Amino acid sequence: MARDPKHDVLFEPIQLGPKTMKNRFYQIPHCNGFGSEKPLSQAYFRAMKAEGGYGACCTEYCSISPESDDTHRMSARLWDEGDIQNLSIMCDMLHEHGALAAAELWYGGPHAPCMESRCVPRAPSQIPSDFEHLTYPKEMDKDDIRDVQKMYVDAAIRAREAGFDIVYVYGSHSYLPQQFLTPYYNKRTDEYGGSFENRARFWRETIEQVREAVGDDCAIAVRMSTDMFIGEAGTQLERDCLPFVEMVDEIVDVWDINVSGISEWGEDATPSRFYESGRQLPWQAAVTAVAKKPVLGVGRWTNPDMMADAINSGKLDIIATCRPSISDPFLPQKIDEGRLDDIRECIGCNICISRWEIGGPPLICTQNATAGEEYRRGWHPERFTTAENADNDVLVVGAGPAGMECAMILGKRGMRRVHLVEAQDDMGGIMRWIPQLPGLGEWARVVNYRKIQLDKLKNVEFIPNTRLDAEGVKTYGAEIVIVATGAYWAKDGLNGCSHDTIPGADASLAHVLTPEQIMVDGKSVPGNKVVIIDNDGYFMGVSLAEKLASEGKHVTLMTHLGHIAPYMHFTLEAPNQHRKLHSLGVEIVTYHLPTKIEAGGVTATHVFDVEGHEHTWDTDATVLVTQRRSDEALYRELKDSVGREGLEAEGVEALYRIGDCEAPRLTADVIFSGHRLAREIDTENPEEPLPFIRERRVPDAETVKRELSRIKEQRAREAVPA
Amino acid sequence: MKLVVAVKQIKILGDEVEFTADGRDVDPDFLDRALNEWDACATEEALQLRERLGDCEVVVVTVGDDESEGALRRCLAMGADRAIRVDARTLDPITTARALAGAVMGESPDLVLCGVQSADSVQGATGVALAQLLGLPRVAVVNRVEWSGSGPATVQRELEGGLVDVVEVDTPAVLTIQTGINQPRYANLRAIKQAEQQEITVVPAADEGSPAFTVRRMFAPPRGEGATMLDGSPAEVAQSILDIVRERLA
Amino acid sequence: MSVLVVAEHLQGRVRDVTYELITAARELGGPVVVAVIGSDPGSLDVNRTGVDEIVHVRVEQEEFESDVYQHALEALVNERRPRAVLLGFTVNSMGFAPAVATKFGLGLATDVFALALEGASVVATRAFYGSKVHGEVEFVPDEPVVLLLRPTAWAPSLDAGQATTTEHELAPIVSRARHKEFTEAPKGDVDITTADFLLSIGRGIGEQESIPQFEELAEKLGATLSVSRPIVDAGWMPSSRQVGQSGKTVKAKVYLALGISGAVQHLAGMKASDTIIAVNTDPEAAIFGVAHYGAVADLFDVAEELAKIA
Repeated sequence: MARDPKHDVLFEPIQLGPKTMKNRFYQIPHCNGFGSEKPLSQAYFRAMKAEGGYGACCTEYCSISPESDDTHRMSARLWDEGDIQNLSIMCDMLHEHGALAAAELWYGGPHAPCMESRCVPRAPSQIPSDFEHLTYPKEMDKDDIRDVQKMYVDAAIRAREAGFDIVYVYGSHSYLPQQFLTPYYNKRTDEYGGSFENRARFWRETIEQVREAVGDDCAIAVRMSTDMFIGEAGTQLERDCLPFVEMVDEIVDVWDINVSGISEWGEDATPSRFYESGRQLPWQAAVTAVAKKPVLGVGRWTNPDMMADAINSGKLDIIATCRPSISDPFLPQKIDEGRLDDIRECIGCNICISRWEIGGPPLICTQNATAGEEYRRGWHPERFTTAENADNDVLVVGAGPAGMECAMILGKRGMRRVHLVEAQDDMGGIMRWIPQLPGLGEWARVVNYRKIQLDKLKNVEFIPNTRLDAEGVKTYGAEIVIVATGAYWAKDGLNGCSHDTIPGADASLAHVLTPEQIMVDGKSVPGNKVVIIDNDGYFMGVSLAEKLASEGKHVTLMTHLGHIAPYMHFTLEAPNQHRKLHSLGVEIVTYHLPTKIEAGGVTATHVFDVEGHEHTWDTDATVLVTQRRSDEALYRELKDSVGREGLEAEGVEALYRIGDCEAPRLTADVIFSGHRLAREIDTENPEEPLPFIRERRVPDAETVKRELSRIKEQRAREAVPA
Repeated sequence: MKLVVAVKQIKILGDEVEFTADGRDVDPDFLDRALNEWDACATEEALQLRERLGDCEVVVVTVGDDESEGALRRCLAMGADRAIRVDARTLDPITTARALAGAVMGESPDLVLCGVQSADSVQGATGVALAQLLGLPRVAVVNRVEWSGSGPATVQRELEGGLVDVVEVDTPAVLTIQTGINQPRYANLRAIKQAEQQEITVVPAADEGSPAFTVRRMFAPPRGEGATMLDGSPAEVAQSILDIVRERLA
Repeated sequence: MSVLVVAEHLQGRVRDVTYELITAARELGGPVVVAVIGSDPGSLDVNRTGVDEIVHVRVEQEEFESDVYQHALEALVNERRPRAVLLGFTVNSMGFAPAVATKFGLGLATDVFALALEGASVVATRAFYGSKVHGEVEFVPDEPVVLLLRPTAWAPSLDAGQATTTEHELAPIVSRARHKEFTEAPKGDVDITTADFLLSIGRGIGEQESIPQFEELAEKLGATLSVSRPIVDAGWMPSSRQVGQSGKTVKAKVYLALGISGAVQHLAGMKASDTIIAVNTDPEAAIFGVAHYGAVADLFDVAEELAKIA
């Protein structure tokens, strides 16, 4: 297939200072949990996108000094020789694929709590961070300013040595240079505060110094937020950003433009729940109109027509992606080859971001099970080895996300025949109805992508409208059976707080409902008042609250936790979700656990009330979002009743289960479980995941010996003579 | 009681195409093969009749090379009892019908089912041509079959626009079956594997006779010049659209 | 040499395809003869400009029966030896025309959408491989060729004509497949893959609240409502209505797309439709690349106007 000429503009090279980028696809700085201390994971991760056609790939935010330490969150670091060496691997690999490497030099100020380094961050004014509330900075005097500017210069020199082609002076997300520019952070009365010129001074000077140090060899990039959405105290487009661009354009080689500060940066990394692709274009276009240098920006871009249009209409020069590059590192190549229906589109769930927000774990992706696994498990999103036991037929029972993923990868690994059998009339399982919750329409891409891929696989057949029982599975004729029958919401109020059911919680009654009953069965929610009991902590409770409140019900959302939907803080969806619920008049009750459910009301006690006083909420209906249960009946019958012998007698040599029917979990994880089993279907014991590489230091025997002998010598010296 | 179903292994072209050197056909490298959807429905109808009537054998017949046995094996996996391949390569519906006629006649069928058309050639003629050679009554484009097993059958023809023509047809007869009449059953892996092992009778073709047509040239359809744009106010655009719609639906 | 057209009629009305056959017949040159087979052929008007002769074949049966039409056609072919016999590629014609060609060893081609006369030979163009390629086909020389023409491929001949009329006597026919009655097809679940006319809406409609307006428009137009993927993803319509690679592939006679930009997965599901009309505010929308007719206009404005005149 050939590239659509409409997309040719995306493949035109562009000059960034002394460097040429081969096309308009730019992987914007973003976190992956690997930093400089897991150098091979880092390098493999970035290189995969370069292999997939990206013209430039960036590190995540890259600390220039131990004073900028974001532990527990993982940043990259360029403090010393070891960091240079580690990050040079990434640069070399990117260069092999013809991509430029960029380092986003970062100083966080008080937003970086320095929990490992125990340093004190510096900042224009001493105000505790609005992001890390316990961290106070030291207020910078002139010496401090010089010191920190020198940190940027030294880090830039290290970056050049490591092989980076592009070096950032990064201010977006309310980091140090932008703190100087912004009255919210900068209360200074010297020449670094007050007027626009003064507030811009630090950033301008730093850019000048970095340019002078490395500007002949590296392109200088500036990442700036055009508007923090907090009114006059924050950065504003016309008052601060555009004048800054005009002031500094000459000494910048490329502008990286976005919106928002740090405390609500979901306005930048927009969840699909609230924003469509290209949300930031108006701000980005405003900068492009004023800047003479190239401008790049993100927009959760997945549609090449929109990308081409952004460039052709003069709003952006370069298409930057973060999340779409995670869900499909090969996006550029697929557009180049005209294989648009092979693009695995980002669904905007922000699960990837949630891992960084939690602090520590490597990123994961709902759509792309190989994200983060490039090195530690050696997985390539587009390449699959033929299974050594390919000469077998596989039955996958259940075409939800886990079953679909597993069947797809087994198909790509050349299994002789794969039958994906589903009781409903179409694929998707749980992802058929979840996308119908308010705002989640783009999540259906999980199903759409796999449907198209499965349809292309000649060795995979999809069989709907067929509910298999144990007998049917046993006699199906497959050598390998994989059960993927999913999970369901508890009908009896079983929950992770009391570890018990709730008296009166019985979803067979008219006034008690589960999410599936509402969304799939169409069970009517009686009356006008409804209480949703949410012990889950992610999106189901709030989504149903939004849906029912939008339909005119009076909704009370009750949780035993201190916050509703705490996980949505990590996905950056919390602020807008709260606003939505507030505007819909949803009553939120925290710290309460129900003690009984009746036809007219729900009675609950405060979890910290030692005397257990009960309060009753009037309600016509109660929705149980207490916990999920694995639908493991089929698997148990096959494993326990039919047993290994019974299965082998019918030719079934292996029985596995994947996804929610093993244990309920995030969609990203059920897809991972299906993917992993398929990748490892030909190992000795596929049920057990193969060990993954942990990048860690294992001191050699010599070093250990030396450390031990030091102790011996010390003790010998201190031994008291008789 | 014997039901014979004539099936075809169709050739599917993807988005790319190249032609043979003589320009009269598509390069086979660009073709995938599959059981014709209409014939799957015809086979399913025969299987359902077998279930209703009892004591009945379902025999599937195709004309083609040995790669076309895939279609037969699919039908066997669905539950057909026997399969016959007439070893010939035919390019038009009448030649195909002649090739089928001998094998079908040899089975002395009580009912012959074919698909209305094949998804690749879309001739819609083979079934009725076959009926002529067999000297049997025929009804084309059938979407419902009611038959007690003897005497006339009552079938429905699906006419354009949703009207249904109820027809009484003497048996033995040939019926060409329309999709939508049923949902062809799936075959599980066991049935597919068993079908792999089953023997298929291969018979030579009878004389070809003169073809219904010969292809003198095949070519990629000319790319349209892009849409004809309709100008004017929304009211004018709406009128243009309505005119086009009425003309095309006639 | 003459061209014989077999008129098609149903429940007392001549079907429009007959007039298209007349146009095609005129292109082939030679006298155009239109045969009307039925119990009251005189009541069916096929007198159009270009028709030289109308032959009434009076039979017992008012409605189509395949043996009756076969006998009638065979008699006319034997008597007239026309260069070509033209019929519509319709359910009726499929039910008997191939039998005639088979019996006499005549040429036969169906779903023909272009014709040419090269010297004394007819050359027809039809599609192959599921319409992805076209092919020119030739026939046995010196035998009449039976051609089933694609409806709407020729414009209908509408002006009144001055044909002569003859009566053709036919011996009684044993009809082995007999018409009993007509009924309506039961209305089951919507099957967009069999609809002739699809009104298809996409994310351009904005909100769920707009859907009833388009449901009403579809009904007024006699169209079946279908949708592109974003509508189904949002839960506004069931997936049985979805056109596209992860939905259904359709090949409608008329596909009217309002507010659909044309994602590649959607185009794959509908581009084989005979006539595609697209309305979109974006002149660069990909759907204009596969549409036969397009309008850069506001879909709500156009929809409103359509509702007034439909």
